[in-house]
Amino acid sequence: MSKERDGQTIMETQMASASSGELQAPGDGVVIKAENLWKTYDMGEAIQVHALSGVSFSIDRGEYVAIMGPSGSGKSTLMNLIGCLDTPSRGAYWLNTHLVSELSDDQLAYIRNKEIGFVFQTFNLLSRASALHNVELPLIYSGMPQKDRLEKAADALRKVDLADRMHHKPNELSGGQRQRVAVARALVNNPSIILADEPTGNLDTATGEEIMGLFERLHQAGNTLVLVTHEHDIAAHAHRIIHVRDGRIERDERVD
Amino acid sequence: MSSFGQTASLPHALGVRSKTGSGAWVTTREAFWIALEALRTHKLRSFLTLLGVVIATATLIVVMSVINGMNLYIADHIANLGANVFIVSKYQWAQGYEAWLKARRRNQPIRVEEFEFLKENLSGYKNIGAAASMWSDDNSTRYQGHVLYNAEISGDTPSMIDIGNQKVESGRYITDSDYQHESMVCFIGHDIVDEFFPSVEPIGKEILVNGLPFRVVGVAEKIGSTFGQSEDNFVQIPLTTYRKYFAPRLSLDVNVQAYDAQQMLALEDEARALLRARRHVPYREADNFGINASQTIMDLWDRLMGSIFALTIGIVAVFMVVGGIVIMNIMLASVTERTHEIGIRKSLGARRRDIMMQFVIESVVMACAGGGIGVLLALIVSEIVDHFWTSTVPLSAVLVGLTLSSAVGLFFGIYPANQAAKLDPIEALHTEN
Repeated sequence: MSKERDGQTIMETQMASASSGELQAPGDGVVIKAENLWKTYDMGEAIQVHALSGVSFSIDRGEYVAIMGPSGSGKSTLMNLIGCLDTPSRGAYWLNTHLVSELSDDQLAYIRNKEIGFVFQTFNLLSRASALHNVELPLIYSGMPQKDRLEKAADALRKVDLADRMHHKPNELSGGQRQRVAVARALVNNPSIILADEPTGNLDTATGEEIMGLFERLHQAGNTLVLVTHEHDIAAHAHRIIHVRDGRIERDERVD
Repeated sequence: MSSFGQTASLPHALGVRSKTGSGAWVTTREAFWIALEALRTHKLRSFLTLLGVVIATATLIVVMSVINGMNLYIADHIANLGANVFIVSKYQWAQGYEAWLKARRRNQPIRVEEFEFLKENLSGYKNIGAAASMWSDDNSTRYQGHVLYNAEISGDTPSMIDIGNQKVESGRYITDSDYQHESMVCFIGHDIVDEFFPSVEPIGKEILVNGLPFRVVGVAEKIGSTFGQSEDNFVQIPLTTYRKYFAPRLSLDVNVQAYDAQQMLALEDEARALLRARRHVPYREADNFGINASQTIMDLWDRLMGSIFALTIGIVAVFMVVGGIVIMNIMLASVTERTHEIGIRKSLGARRRDIMMQFVIESVVMACAGGGIGVLLALIVSEIVDHFWTSTVPLSAVLVGLTLSSAVGLFFGIYPANQAAKLDPIEALHTEN
């Protein structure tokens, strides 16, 4: 019941926004559409810091995009917005037809659960849980019964070649293996996008390449990937690079 | 407008989520898993945290058990003077010290003549009898070199066997003939048999009671003990013999047995009126004798247990609050310690209520475990108490204990859980533990 209520509110919010007529919802094939995103932090004494000042872009289904920029460029803020961890101060953000910029905390949680698979620099696995249980987590929060859940989680781990490590805890796995568990966890709910934040930052070069190879495979399989990084070598794996600097998009280039 | 079609597909997707139906159950199970895991990894910490709740629960259950045990006991033993019996004696039992001091100056002993008078004039009783006894360290009972100093020696009318809770096991009770002829015969309890005649037939043997020879004519069935005091340690002789040789002016206890409970009050009133008239007690003055019934003891008992129970409730409440605050404290620490984990869970789609549930359940499981340990402790203590005294654990006490401790966990878990649920996912993710 309560979950339906969430959905109801999401729909109502979106209909209200759509009927206001100012904003144009994205068409088919568009996964992400950002329109004039601003993120402003009040630092007190009427000092305002603009982490993002009017960012607009869109990402199509199946794209492999890197968001690049030095630290302080606003790329982390942008990533938080794309990942529905935060909402913009101004502007509109659609993720797979959900107008995310208008949603409440719990609705954001729902979108994160359904639409986004995170891969973090520091893996962010639960240290006391097995690889399998870590991968199960998103399915737990979507309320899937245990039997289906275990099947799906094991499947996801098989996809990243960790079938034989399912019952190991993170501290019994190598860095590369941990990141692969994280990728499996990101994949398990069939999200609209996989959002990777410096996924190779804590890995040596060889292992990093291995993970990037895995991403390429996911891309080939039709997943939409968004990669946030400050390293050129890593960004070069993507097929499109959005350069961010001083809270604005500096350059949006296709690489092939 | 085409976007409407797309947004409309959303509730359908949500429908799938809720159609599994087990959503809340799934996250609740996860919460239980986490709670048990936390208990397992922090055994000592959890135990120390729970000490308050453990002690509170154990105290509550032990006190309830002891009271319960004593209630059963009282009902079984002390209050059982015999069915529908009241006793006219020199003093009213179970009254305050002040009242007793007054009564000691004013009250007159019950005389044999008064017993006879009641016997003649009371209307429609089932039985009436009288007994006199004196507790004294000088009492001695001997048989062939064995001596007992603590046996209760009493003088009884033949009718007493029909009134009290004693039954004849072998031989006979004191008869009318014994009573009239002041015979040197006695009816003895099982402890006397065990002491003097472990392997010999006691009937017909002669024992010395305070230096005088009495022939054993009967043995009573074993009764048992009340609060460690044996009820089988007695020697009964005819009242007439008792008065002749031991205590001629000792006050009697007149036992009156009514036909049924309904008749009791009327009969008590009649006995009171008769005795007051015979003693010429003025209209305004209080009785100078006592009329006692099982109810007298039960009333006093209930008052006493009521105060003990009230006191216990107070102590348990204090323990529970202290225990609850300790739990709250440890839960707050746990939230801080697991901020990063909360961030991870939130990034994966845990809603506020999921996180809330996780910590509330952890708190409840912890408190409930404390309650469980308290119950075990109480069972052990109760078993030990029962060995020396009396204690019976009622199921209700266990249920109350567990419910109360869970409630404490719930109440004191809400604030920390809410703190956790409120955390911002970005900040939580950036917190390193």
